[in-house]
Amino acid sequence: MKRAIKLGAVALISALALSACGGGGGDQQGSTPASSEDPAALETTIKILAPSYSDSSKADWDAITAKFNETYPKVKVELQIEGWETFADKVQARIQAGDLPDILNDNAFSSSADAGLLYRMDELLSKETLDAIEPTLLDNGKMPDGTLYATPDIASARLLAYNKDLFEKAGIAEPPKTWADLEDASQKLAALGDDIRGYGMPLGKEEAQVESSLWLWGAGGDWADGENLKADSDAAVEAFTQMKKMYESGYTQANLEDNRQGTTDLFSAGKLGMVIGHGQVVSDATAKGINVGLAPVPSKSGEGVAIGVTDFILAFDNKDAARKQATAAYLELFYSDELYVPWYKGTTLLPVTKSAIEKGIAEADEYNKAFLDALTLVKFQPVSNPQWDALQAALKASAYKVGSEDPKTLLEQIQAQVVAQS
Amino acid sequence: MSSTVAPRRAGQKDRRGPTPAREALRSLPWLLPTLVLIVCVVLYPAGLMIYTSFFKYNNKGILRKPDPIGLDNYIGPAGALTFPGVPIGRILLNTVVWVAVVVLGTLILSLLLAQFLNLPFRGRKLLRLFVILPWACSVVMTATVFRYGLQDKVGLFNRLLVDTGILETARAWTKDPTSAFWVAVFVAIYVSLPFTTYTILAGLQAVPTDVREAAHVDGAGTWARYWHIVLPLLRPAIAVAALINIINVFNSLPILRILQETPGYHTGHITTTLMYEYQTSLGPGVSSALSVLNFLFCLVIIGIYLAVVQPTKEVA
Repeated sequence: MKRAIKLGAVALISALALSACGGGGGDQQGSTPASSEDPAALETTIKILAPSYSDSSKADWDAITAKFNETYPKVKVELQIEGWETFADKVQARIQAGDLPDILNDNAFSSSADAGLLYRMDELLSKETLDAIEPTLLDNGKMPDGTLYATPDIASARLLAYNKDLFEKAGIAEPPKTWADLEDASQKLAALGDDIRGYGMPLGKEEAQVESSLWLWGAGGDWADGENLKADSDAAVEAFTQMKKMYESGYTQANLEDNRQGTTDLFSAGKLGMVIGHGQVVSDATAKGINVGLAPVPSKSGEGVAIGVTDFILAFDNKDAARKQATAAYLELFYSDELYVPWYKGTTLLPVTKSAIEKGIAEADEYNKAFLDALTLVKFQPVSNPQWDALQAALKASAYKVGSEDPKTLLEQIQAQVVAQS
Repeated sequence: MSSTVAPRRAGQKDRRGPTPAREALRSLPWLLPTLVLIVCVVLYPAGLMIYTSFFKYNNKGILRKPDPIGLDNYIGPAGALTFPGVPIGRILLNTVVWVAVVVLGTLILSLLLAQFLNLPFRGRKLLRLFVILPWACSVVMTATVFRYGLQDKVGLFNRLLVDTGILETARAWTKDPTSAFWVAVFVAIYVSLPFTTYTILAGLQAVPTDVREAAHVDGAGTWARYWHIVLPLLRPAIAVAALINIINVFNSLPILRILQETPGYHTGHITTTLMYEYQTSLGPGVSSALSVLNFLFCLVIIGIYLAVVQPTKEVA
């Protein structure tokens, strides 16, 4: 018996050793020709698919590419920039066509990682680069088993932005803390007339998941239920009931299926007293002459919440050593202080590297400081859970129906959609 | 055409005479381009669609299981007909209403328009040119103009309706599934009119005047002449226009896509737009399944049309 175990152990160990050798050998073969090559001689094409954060997005990427081409003159970089509204469709189209972008800047990664389409980021990026990224943000790019399949490239915190002038006119002393305060403030704002409403609740395709998450957290709940996500928890029902109440009392904008841009436009036009917003919402509104104040998002208990969103860099495995090498080199360069800082500033969102965050806090204006400070109290959506894609899609497709349907029935339906897909 | 030409040539140059097989072979070079086109752009994609509908994909379009999953994409928990939250009965009804109302509306209006454009009057050419304009614009562009025009805050059509007192306040027409559906019906009729009108106008010009004059002499009134003489002679033109419109309208994605601003599975979908919705949220498997059903549905509608109207009697 003992002998059998010993034998088994030996066999197992040698098998492991052999396979480890094999794996190592394979890796060697994969990386040796690439790394030994002179960067100037590397000739290939890498493709980047990125969303448009602002009008300068293309120029911001081009700046990195220009620098990259100084070292790698023969690597052609193909950049495709698409708007957020249809970004998921474009990504899907590229994946289905087998035209995988080497570098993808997106807000979701779990289903691609789950399907084994991605490089592990610790395979591409050096330890120094990974260590330079704020750990709490970096954790968002890890799958439940801890494998890093995506690195954050931009963060945004969302807070309650309010119109100070309207607040003064309506006689509201300070930004609302509890749901009751929020209703009270909304009522006073709506009483101003002139089509002014209290609170912008964009439940359209773009932001329904963010808005729903904030209300859920405000009710003290969470999407996660053990390993699974649960849409119809008691807290979620409570949150959606409160959302419905806001809508039915006439405190929100008229169309719940508006996107973030729709409510931002209303806010910028002085027709909304409060919206949940990030840096862009604030800068859009201040550009139109709105006097914006920032505060944590009200909750049922009065304990402020805020949502953090990170977007990610994903690298698709195109089974091509040259492309892999070029991609790794490009991303190393991307995260270097010299290029990353102007790039993130172009997005008007928040940085993810420690040094850029520190620098950002030091030179921030009032608004950016509020957002950067909020990074400590933010909660994140369960982006690494493979069920999140389904839940997010279901929320985007149905959350706005809370205005006309029973919250519990609606959430049960959303839950049924998630379950049907898993 | 090649089949009528081929035997004669064969008779002149070849004494053995044509057999059906030889004839088919001879016509092949002329048929080949069309056959290649049909195989490449119709049969292959259709086959791929049916194949895809039996596999499981996620919403990113990644194949999740290597083996076929039977009818799960049709009637499984996340199937095209059974996905929770999809008002499928209403959507099927919408599809029938969409096709019937748009095609009938277009035909009736086109008959009137064509009759009018066939009258001799000053500026007829110019008017005919204007009628064809909507056809010259892309459907996406036309639908976008309507969408902006009906926007609740800045839309010009809304402004017109309010300023003329037809409406009390501006409405967000395209943000309510039902009103957006009817706006889309209107736009679909608007863009289908030019083609249909012209087809019928061509038919009208082919109606011989002597037949009409003879009927007039025999004492038939205007209405009787139209009903018993003109309309039967227009039958081939109407048949072609109706058939092409049915297929076209059934598959018309852009108008509804652009004019429906409500996200998700609402009650203003038709099966074609639902297919698109599935494609983004459930992936190509389920979307293909619905596409297969859509294809069968389209066949049934055309079958009913052919059986009831028998339009080919005169066409062939």
